[in-house]
Amino acid sequence: MGYTRESTMSKGVLLFAFNSDTVDYMAMAVATAKRANQYLNLPVTVVTDESTDMSNYDYKFDQVLRQTADKTNYTIEDNVWINKGRFNAYNLTPYDETLLIDTDYLINSDTLLKPFELYDDFMCHNRTSYLMIPDHSQEQMSDHSFPTLWATVIYFKKTSRTKSIFECMQMVQENYMHYQQLYNMTVPSFRNDFALTIAVRIVHGQTEDVSVYIPWNLVHVGKNTQVYRESDTKYTILYDNWKYGKIKKEYMIVEGTDFHMMNKKNFMELI
Amino acid sequence: MDTKQLLTEVKARFNHNSAKAYLKDKYESKLCVADQGGLWKITPELISAVNGLSTDTVVLLDNYGNPVKVNRANLLLKLEKTYNDVMEQWHSEWATLEKAR
Repeated sequence: MGYTRESTMSKGVLLFAFNSDTVDYMAMAVATAKRANQYLNLPVTVVTDESTDMSNYDYKFDQVLRQTADKTNYTIEDNVWINKGRFNAYNLTPYDETLLIDTDYLINSDTLLKPFELYDDFMCHNRTSYLMIPDHSQEQMSDHSFPTLWATVIYFKKTSRTKSIFECMQMVQENYMHYQQLYNMTVPSFRNDFALTIAVRIVHGQTEDVSVYIPWNLVHVGKNTQVYRESDTKYTILYDNWKYGKIKKEYMIVEGTDFHMMNKKNFMELI
Repeated sequence: MDTKQLLTEVKARFNHNSAKAYLKDKYESKLCVADQGGLWKITPELISAVNGLSTDTVVLLDNYGNPVKVNRANLLLKLEKTYNDVMEQWHSEWATLEKAR
């Protein structure tokens, strides 16, 4: 398998955006799409449901694909987290090579173009770091299972191996309760990260294939962290560091680095 | 209220360790290059090894442990150029951040 190649295949970004009662995911998708156009120079297709009125958004996607929203995920205070059906990315993508990105991923550089140069068919992150928390541990799917793989950014090309991974993600989603018990997961809601972790291991015969890992960390902005925009790609990160029962405010400045924002409200403030 | 004023008001302290870790994350991604059928994470050790060998072609283990036959001079050129460019940027941003302390 070669790692470097000149490719004439179509390339693009695929986003999933299903609005909930509290979060306008399509607005986030629009912001992410604009930045994908700007920094990656790639077309963006969005997957959403029939109820989303695209005339409310000032952006023209390459394609808008309609899917029925699966609202069966565990809910917190009546807020439905519509994250199921990500396995459909394989069949839905109009591109030969696809970057499947979460809508709350803030693109500030062309780093995500590297997988198009480097790898043949499937890549995801296996390691993360948190801005302002340099010694944060790597997440395990559960106490006695595997390190979590992250579905936040997935690069894939249509191959038999990739097809198997997405089909396996579907199987895991459809039998999630079984896998929750099997791996003793304590998180009640369905997570694509976990479905991906299980699927990748199954497809590789429960062995670890390091070639599916993107060789740099996925950067998260976690809880107790607030992001303020200074310029288009420059941000001040303010963090509440609890020490000896008191909050100490700490900050740093980042520029030209992509990051995943877990705080949707903060993401909306930046776009 | 702009961010500078906010930082002053809340008496926020610049976190040196976090900045250092962030820069490492940022520039490590830039130190990964694909060349001649291999994926290479550029380190001074790799550059030294490639530089120290004498044959025109050489077989090296890439980032994923695959043996890859490469043109030594061409690989060295790419490794050195990328390394110097990235480390200059890293140093420059680090120097700027240090002033924020």
